[in-house]
Amino acid sequence: MYRPFRRNHGILALGFASAFLLLQGCTPGKPRVDDCPAGKVCLRAGNGVEVLSLDPHKVSGVGDHRVLLDSMVGLTMADASDKVAPGTAERWETSADGLTWTFYLRDAVWSDGVPLTADDFVFSLRRILNPATAAEYASLLYPILGAQAVNEGKAAPETLGVRAVTPRILEIRLEHPAPYLLQLAKHQTMYPVPRHVVEKYGNAWSKPEHYVSNGPYTIVSWKLGDRIKAVKNPRYWDAAKVCVDQISYYPTTDNITAERQVRNGELDMNADIQSNRIALLREQMPGYVRTHTYLGVSYLTYNNSVVALRDVRVRRALAMAIDREFITKKLMRGGQQPAYTFVPPGVANYQAVQPPEWAAWPFEKRQAEARRILAEAGYGPGRPLKIEIKHRNSADPSLIMPAIQADWKSIGVEARLAQNEPQIAYAAYRARDFEVGDAAWVADYNDPMTFLYLMNSTTGAQNYGDYKNPAFDALLKKADNEPDAAVRAGYLAQAERIMLDDATIAPVFFYVNKNLVSPRVTGWIANLGDIHPTQFLCVKGSPKAPAA
Amino acid sequence: MLQYIGRRLLVAIPTLFLVITAAFFMMRAAPGSPFDMDRKLSPEIEANVLAQYGMDKPLGQQYVDYLAGVVQGDLGPSLKYRDKTVLDIVKENYPVSLRLGFFAIAIASVIGVSLGVMAALRQNRMTDNVVMTIAILGVCIPTFVTAPLLVLGIASKLGWLPTAGWNDGALPNMVLPVVVLALPQIAIISRLTRAGMIEVLHSNYIRTARAKGLPEWLIVRKHALRAAILPLVSYLGPACAGLITGSLVVEKIFNLPGLGKFFVISALQRDYTVVMGMVIFYAGLILLLNLIADLLYAVLDPRVRLA
Amino acid sequence: MTFASARAETITKAAAVRGRSLWEDARRRLMRNRAAVTGMIVLGLLVVAAVVGPWLSPFTYDEVNKSDVWLPPLQGGHLMGSDALGRDLLTRLLVGLRVSLAIGFVATFVSLVIGVAWGAVAGYVGGKLDEVMMRFVDVLYSLPFIFFVILLMVTFGSNIILIFVAIGAVEWLTMSRIVRGQTLTLKNKEFVEAARAAGLNRGAIIFRHIVPNLLGPVVVYVTLTIPAVILAESFLSFLGLGVQPPMASLGALIAGGASDMELAPWLLIFPSLVMVMTLMSFNFIGDGLRDAIDPKDR
Repeated sequence: MYRPFRRNHGILALGFASAFLLLQGCTPGKPRVDDCPAGKVCLRAGNGVEVLSLDPHKVSGVGDHRVLLDSMVGLTMADASDKVAPGTAERWETSADGLTWTFYLRDAVWSDGVPLTADDFVFSLRRILNPATAAEYASLLYPILGAQAVNEGKAAPETLGVRAVTPRILEIRLEHPAPYLLQLAKHQTMYPVPRHVVEKYGNAWSKPEHYVSNGPYTIVSWKLGDRIKAVKNPRYWDAAKVCVDQISYYPTTDNITAERQVRNGELDMNADIQSNRIALLREQMPGYVRTHTYLGVSYLTYNNSVVALRDVRVRRALAMAIDREFITKKLMRGGQQPAYTFVPPGVANYQAVQPPEWAAWPFEKRQAEARRILAEAGYGPGRPLKIEIKHRNSADPSLIMPAIQADWKSIGVEARLAQNEPQIAYAAYRARDFEVGDAAWVADYNDPMTFLYLMNSTTGAQNYGDYKNPAFDALLKKADNEPDAAVRAGYLAQAERIMLDDATIAPVFFYVNKNLVSPRVTGWIANLGDIHPTQFLCVKGSPKAPAA
Repeated sequence: MLQYIGRRLLVAIPTLFLVITAAFFMMRAAPGSPFDMDRKLSPEIEANVLAQYGMDKPLGQQYVDYLAGVVQGDLGPSLKYRDKTVLDIVKENYPVSLRLGFFAIAIASVIGVSLGVMAALRQNRMTDNVVMTIAILGVCIPTFVTAPLLVLGIASKLGWLPTAGWNDGALPNMVLPVVVLALPQIAIISRLTRAGMIEVLHSNYIRTARAKGLPEWLIVRKHALRAAILPLVSYLGPACAGLITGSLVVEKIFNLPGLGKFFVISALQRDYTVVMGMVIFYAGLILLLNLIADLLYAVLDPRVRLA
Repeated sequence: MTFASARAETITKAAAVRGRSLWEDARRRLMRNRAAVTGMIVLGLLVVAAVVGPWLSPFTYDEVNKSDVWLPPLQGGHLMGSDALGRDLLTRLLVGLRVSLAIGFVATFVSLVIGVAWGAVAGYVGGKLDEVMMRFVDVLYSLPFIFFVILLMVTFGSNIILIFVAIGAVEWLTMSRIVRGQTLTLKNKEFVEAARAAGLNRGAIIFRHIVPNLLGPVVVYVTLTIPAVILAESFLSFLGLGVQPPMASLGALIAGGASDMELAPWLLIFPSLVMVMTLMSFNFIGDGLRDAIDPKDR
């Protein structure tokens, strides 16, 4: 049934009305670039990534940690230079065998005024290890007695070796001595969550409207993609010393955009810098660039099911032919160090191993030697080795992989590059769907074990190269049961030596952490763990700034 | 007319169904899963996570469940942002994209029509040439070239405006993104208006109006402009598509919390539900805007019948 | 994409079919159009440079030169400078132009084949089939296509062939509409009647008599589709979904240059200039062709 349509201005109105309906809440307000309340100290921090959750049991990224760090305080906590300091626990003691730890809690309350007790910690540890929570990072707590069984659903959460002796005394029993327990105790996996709030709201407890914290700040709003806002918690036990009143965390997904924002004064700091711009920034923005060695290593891993890569000579030749000086000094230029060993320098409880002999040779000599041993293995101009390098498409790998490709080309190896999103690349490595893979590892806690266990034959999927050497495994086992730190470090060094001699991986460079921090921000100290709690920071020119 | 709208909305349902189905299976065919990360999950935890999101069921079952959810207005939880549902994300972030698009198209229409009329009235003279050169440049310089240049010049060097960020939609934060989005649209609209005007100005009824001795501005305003704007109205549909494409780039460059940015990130991170939510939202939006454009066209041109 | 489709309507109106003798007229008019001629010359030079240039260059597009990192133009034998890996920008630009042009031509060809076949069949057969076919086009029109192209890239990984197909598959819609409109007016013309009277079957009539006479509007639309496709590809590259490094395209080069613009402005300026020149040439030629085939506007 067609009817002629007559002119009707009502329709116009309808059209516009529906357009406006879509734009509800769209009245252009007055400029609110700086919404810092008068007389308050505000910090605008570029956090690098979007936070995935505010529940410490459900996150694993460093960006998540940077936000949670200001709101939650574990048994221990990081000081301004990431050293272990008393946190919610005032003091602690450990039994002679190193298996039982007792923590004495201070008189602390949650941000809603409810007292914080040892029960909250017991509840929290059982919650993160409970398989129903599906915490990605729970395996970090496996040194706790019974943790693995609980996490795998083989034992009830109540069987976990953690108990509240009194409301102010917490006892933790371990599977084996772990000198790094105090490091773990300041990690997000051991943060307490407010039992009374979690029991009331369930998983919705971590929404900003319900959020309750025990640290110097508490989260008040979170607009995805825009910012997270946290304000000072007056009930924090050390609140008198906290200078910054309000923090805005911005998800600065692009380092260069964030750099321009810091330059333009829109942000006070950003948690990362694109490596190859550091030299320029040092020149143009003196005092902003802060770098420090970091507990991370970038390496190439070889798939053991590729016949050519099973030959140790091939692996060694490939490792030798990488021009790490060019990569670190010319390409990245961010202060990264060439890596010839696996565990980064500066790790606690670590005894450094000697790099391979060829590391000190001139590059031409290394190339010649690489060509020679490749020929020995049966590869040469007549029969070139052809392999694919799978790599992450993030900034640094995208920059250095073409250089490695070129390096290998000059010893007669034909390499193809295949780019993937980082998490897709890692999934492919775990599925062994790669030939040579570009991987990196950042320490979970400050100890060589967090690196070396990757090559343990029982590690499984994350031992991408399926490395298996009984001598290596035995040394790690001995280290785990050794209470003496120095003896333990010796075992770990021997293990690393074995792994390097087998050339199971090719280390490329050691990480640095790179922050862009306005000189207005005081109290900021570069450190190994790249941990900078806001409670120790202040902003120059603010009412509460310490005298310069 | 209501009947017409009703029929259009009925056609929209199979269209949306097609969109959902295609997007659902494409997304699932992509390698990787939302639960892939740098670290491995223990098999027990992984099984728990999958069960939590109903992803342990066969794909067909998941598809049916998803459709059932959509019918009830439930787009599911985000698989990456564990505190948020897809609806939360859409609700929080669509005003950003829409606001940008609305201001861009409004500004582009006003400036584009004015330039087009000016050019048409001074056809083949200096003004015309200048306007048409601008129009060609506007089309040929991609958004991702203008945006960095404007950021470098106006924000970084001169410091007049923020270089990036949204800040709850503060006005200074919106200026550059809107300008960048509007520029190519200004170019297209001014060309369309010019062409329309020239055609109309040569038509008989305008000659009649001139012969009657009406002043030129009245002829332009009352007779010519109305007819000349018609091609512009029919352009509104494609303009929306252009704005959506443009907003993907602009939201990325200016780090704005719009839906386009989340779409790209979520697709790369395999956040299935968020990707689906965005696709459904945009498909619905485009259908709606096309309908509005057609209705407007009918209002302005009495010759058009809606059937 | 949008620009081309926005113009589709004007083209359909403008390019009415004329007798053969008028092509000569059109050619003469085109040659008198200075902008179009300039466009053709510039485009011709760009095409030759893109095809031949990389062979003449002493560098290759993926050759890492460790001593030539970030050289400004004219240093170390790099006419347009070099990038972070010491790769020669000029060579990369020529290769990138080649890739972008190839994508432009091939994807447009894909859209041409599908669009002409679809539109001609729908228009000529008419009736229910026409209704169904054009309704299908309408439905596809209302899809958020860019999202599907992105999903496609995410699903199957970005490779050049897929980019051709994906973009071509989007662009055929407008082409089919134009062709259908033209076919509708053509099918009642005398020569088609004559062919029908002579007993030719439908297929033969469509492809031997209708399609060749669609040339005018189709040629104009094609010249406007190519730049739209080049833009679409560069847009994907900008989002990191287009051609993958070390391969280059204009979009990929611009994206890289934009992030390093403070450090090495030449990496942004030269690719942008080439991009703008290419797009402008196509647009001038397209406009010139339209005016030449239908001189009404001038």
